Amino acid sequence: MTIEKWNSLNLLEGEVRPGFRAPDAGDFVFPSIFGDSVLTTKPVILVFFSVILVSTFFIASSRKALVVPSKIQFAGEMVYGFVRNEIGKDVIGSEFQRFVPFLFTIFTFVLTNNIFGIIPLIQFPTMSRIGFPVAITIFVYLTYHFVAIRKHGLFKYLKDMCFMPGIPKFMYVILAPLELATYFVIRPLTLAMRLFGNMFAGHLLLILFTLGGEYMLHDKLIMKIFSVFSFGFSLGFTFFEFFVQCLQAYIFTLLSALYIAGALADEH
Amino acid sequence: MSLSNSNQDDSKNSQNEENALWSIVGYLLAGLFIWGGIGWGFDRWLGTTYCVLIGLFLGAGASVYLVWLRFGRD
Repeated sequence: MTIEKWNSLNLLEGEVRPGFRAPDAGDFVFPSIFGDSVLTTKPVILVFFSVILVSTFFIASSRKALVVPSKIQFAGEMVYGFVRNEIGKDVIGSEFQRFVPFLFTIFTFVLTNNIFGIIPLIQFPTMSRIGFPVAITIFVYLTYHFVAIRKHGLFKYLKDMCFMPGIPKFMYVILAPLELATYFVIRPLTLAMRLFGNMFAGHLLLILFTLGGEYMLHDKLIMKIFSVFSFGFSLGFTFFEFFVQCLQAYIFTLLSALYIAGALADEH
Repeated sequence: MSLSNSNQDDSKNSQNEENALWSIVGYLLAGLFIWGGIGWGFDRWLGTTYCVLIGLFLGAGASVYLVWLRFGRD
């Protein structure tokens, strides 16, 4: 087909428009809704909303607990049972019970805030702002160090960490800094960054495909046709994001449990 | 950091593997950052350029050795 024919089909005709502005980190910054306070920006409001949502759900599911559970009680107990048995009991072992409330809170809080990313009208995963994962990580960090120091004492905790039995003495010079860095820097860093990065990247992809599709929809005919693929991708990624959001909430809780288990273990 | 010795079942094994997976990533990162960083510090101090490379190799080697000690032994 010649160019004239293409042109006569009006495929490539269209108004000249300013270029597409790709989404960037600026799309994660929200203005304050009331006044200048950071407490009324969208992410902070979503966090408060998630707390209300989670509390309401689990209070409703447990207040009239019956031997034959209602639907909501069953749903609540399923989530609780999953955290208690799959994460708490399997990872921490015999002393798991006193950590179950902590793990359960982390799991439901992170999960709810992640899933906000694909709920229509909300559509923002709170954990894509680094401050929130960092805040939860601080709690996990303090917990597992506190547990270990209380169980073993500070000196023995550090000694077990740095000096593994059965290796040549001079190797300790090389290996001890690595162990210290792993326990005190790398673990909290990767814990917070993993959650943040997954949520940030996933949300960015969804914005990109949705805004890109919208941009192409108002363009030439051939672009309108391609915009279908862009919207298709954004729909597909929404389902994929749901999977990632659940997985990241699980991994975050699992790793918290693993760090606590490591702190309780007799030898490191 | 072995987990406590109670209930040795199948899920315990998969948990151990998951534990190992994330710990290994952490150790490898720590090795590169710490010894690479020390090498970089020596470069700054002495005005050389090769210490960071030595540090990175040392760190990579040390972290692989540490991973072997933790998870490859027995």
